[in-house]
Amino acid sequence: MRYLYYGLALLAGAALSFEGAIYAELGKSIGQLETSFYNFLAGSIILGLLWLFFGKGHLPHVLRAPKWSLLGGLLGVAYLTSIVISVPYVGVGITMVAVIVGQMVMSMTIEHYGWLGSEKSAVNKEKILAALSMAVALVLIN
Amino acid sequence: MGMFMIIFTLIGGLTLSAQSSINGSLSRKAGTIETTFLTFLTGTLFLALFVLFFGRGHIPGLLDAPKWQLSAAFLGTIYLLLTVLAVPKIGVIAANIAGIVGQLVIGMVIDHFGWFYSLKIPLDGKRMLALAFMALALYFIYKGNKKGGKNPGGTPKSSRPEDTFTGQVRHDV
Repeated sequence: MRYLYYGLALLAGAALSFEGAIYAELGKSIGQLETSFYNFLAGSIILGLLWLFFGKGHLPHVLRAPKWSLLGGLLGVAYLTSIVISVPYVGVGITMVAVIVGQMVMSMTIEHYGWLGSEKSAVNKEKILAALSMAVALVLIN
Repeated sequence: MGMFMIIFTLIGGLTLSAQSSINGSLSRKAGTIETTFLTFLTGTLFLALFVLFFGRGHIPGLLDAPKWQLSAAFLGTIYLLLTVLAVPKIGVIAANIAGIVGQLVIGMVIDHFGWFYSLKIPLDGKRMLALAFMALALYFIYKGNKKGGKNPGGTPKSSRPEDTFTGQVRHDV
């Protein structure tokens, strides 16, 4: 069952690459900030519908949840805007590798300290080696 | 300019990791669809402000944009939904790593063929070697995750000190 979630996460990454490439093109015609706005507006509509028809969770919980846990949207905005701006300059591949290094370092830091409600998992030799390998890859691609 | 852009995008990656952890914890109580919905809704509100104050583009251009470009919104939705779903089950690092593999393969393919009018960058020897290093990185992080005694999806527990590792590979993770 756990492999299913690995597969889903894999699919999520693939969707992200396509999204970055396509939005780079849209950004040229309507503007980068406007493209991000479009993405979030359209996403809200799609998810609003999904929620109405298939939502089984507890939306009112967000009113009681700690305020920092509501900042996902703002972080998504920062991410998407940086992607849309950088793809035309350095290409999708390099953009993705840079995002990846940022993601790996941050995931490790978050899990090492158990920040943001995540489960604590200490940094070890392998994780450091992994980050170094990614740095080599980034240089090779550039 | 290229190097500045790379650093800039690196920060984008940092925010993405923080987002997946935050959303992962919120979704445990609020639900997957609800968390994703909230993320898009608040994102829209923040961006509405940014566009109003800093926007120099042309929003009505959306009506003239090709539909295939507009359909990328579905991809963004799929990404966020799947990530929110996966993080509480397999943990932040594993979810991000699996997502990374998907990104890399597709990113290189898009560059190689120059799809979507992107910068065309062929998959040469250096990029092949880079792929090998990335595979190595994934292997290391997978191994490191096992060694860390991860119990993703469970209640947070204190990390196991590295020196108690017995050398046996865990198969239950």
